[in-house]
Amino acid sequence: MGTFDWKVIYDNFPFLMKGLLTTVELAIIGITGGLLLGIIVGMARLSSKKIIYYPATLFVNFFRSLPLLLVIFWFYFLVPLLAGRPMGDFFSASVAFIVFEASYFAEIIRAGIQSISKEQMQAAYSTGFTYGQAMRYIILPQALRNMVPSLLTQSVVVFQDTSLAYVIGVREFLRSASIVDAREMRSLELYAFIGVIYFVICYTMSKMSKRLEAKRGMAK
Amino acid sequence: MIEIKNVSKWFGDFRVLENVSETIEKGQVVVICGPSGAGKSMLCKCLNGLEPFQEGDIVVDGISLADPSTDLIKLRQKMGMVFQRFELYPHMKILENITIAPIKVKKMSQADAEKKAFELLERVGIPEQAKKYPGNLSGGQQQRVAIARALAMEPEIMLFDEPTSALDPEMIKEVLDVMINLAKSGMTMVVVTHEMGFAREVADEIIFMEKGSIVERGTDVSFFKNPKSERTKEFLDKILLV
Ligand SMILES: Nc1ncnc2c1ncn2[C@@H]1O[C@H](COP(=O)(O)OP(=O)(O)OP(=O)(O)O)[C@@H](O)[C@H]1O
Ligand SMILES: [Mg+2]
Repeated sequence: MGTFDWKVIYDNFPFLMKGLLTTVELAIIGITGGLLLGIIVGMARLSSKKIIYYPATLFVNFFRSLPLLLVIFWFYFLVPLLAGRPMGDFFSASVAFIVFEASYFAEIIRAGIQSISKEQMQAAYSTGFTYGQAMRYIILPQALRNMVPSLLTQSVVVFQDTSLAYVIGVREFLRSASIVDAREMRSLELYAFIGVIYFVICYTMSKMSKRLEAKRGMAK
Repeated sequence: MIEIKNVSKWFGDFRVLENVSETIEKGQVVVICGPSGAGKSMLCKCLNGLEPFQEGDIVVDGISLADPSTDLIKLRQKMGMVFQRFELYPHMKILENITIAPIKVKKMSQADAEKKAFELLERVGIPEQAKKYPGNLSGGQQQRVAIARALAMEPEIMLFDEPTSALDPEMIKEVLDVMINLAKSGMTMVVVTHEMGFAREVADEIIFMEKGSIVERGTDVSFFKNPKSERTKEFLDKILLV
């Protein structure tokens, strides 16, 4: 292989960045979709109605007990079956991430909602709010604010998890590097480069969550 | 206006309310006192459907709370509630605390809701605090905002659950004054409190609760000078002295 030759990065930069963009897209879809579904499941986990509580609890325990790679494979085969036609690997991966990450976000949301006193809910009810309004305007804004550090930490995890979409052929960051590598045989440079990029992005995100946590600690 | 008929409530085997009956007419002020754990808060929460009860019925303006088809959301709009620990929404400014329910529940326009909020803040004596967050107000100010928030929905009945017991002594009066004015303006009120000065001034009826039931009732404070049970006398001596 000889000496390092960073020209491979330079020559394939647009292609690699396209891969990074796919990774970012997958992460954003996984985070927002997982969060939205997680809010619903997390709220359902706190329901006093058994037909709401049990399915939500089953969902959470089920997906939290499986390796993500397996879930990605499942949805890769399941989604076209359910849709009745091929939907593409990016779509399958998106669904897998939303469902899988929702089971983790749901537990963060549940804990966050439980951290708000019961009387806040009663105060909201006493002014005529419905359950939905009380959640939306009173409980969730407070709970989400308390949860920001945990949500950011989980988002970093989601960002890293997206590299697993590699296995079903999604051209995310890691896969685009490996495609270039197959052509140009520059493994060291390529994997070092994407490693640095992953590190910078994830490290920045966790630093942000640390800082927010410290800020909140002082505010108390 | 409110008719409580033989209401009983259990938590498992533990009975928190036992055959509670009471009639409250429009414009009346009823004061409830009694030792800790007597079920005073529970009765308040049952009144506006925040807690269910197993036996008996509560009828508000002809609407039965025991009837499962009753729309509790609608019913609660008739009743405002003030809590011991204020329970303002900490993430909203004072003005939003007061306007959110009229805007979202009554579909009032923001301008109208804010105009009304300022009137109410004026009424409770703190119009200058509108743009602050609850955390920056004193306890007494927060409780007055809580009263304004409840009044913003134009309730026919106001429930107060120990509104002054979390306050420093020097702030109790400012809250009681607001409540006394409210009582004198003809509001129907149910007030859990041990402030016998307040009771003396505005109460039409005073109820003494113990272990989930009403054990004494009277129309003014002097009634309590001759309570039926020794236990009641002891308790009343304590709160009447202070
Ligand atoms: N969720 C619950 N489960 C079981 N018991 C409860 C529950 N909530 C309240 N209780 C009990 O019900 C009884 C009445 O409570 P309540 O809060 O109404 O008392 P209170 O008269 O308001 O007392 P305080 O002056 O301390 O506020 C208490 O003995 C309390 O322990
Ligand atoms: Mg109480």
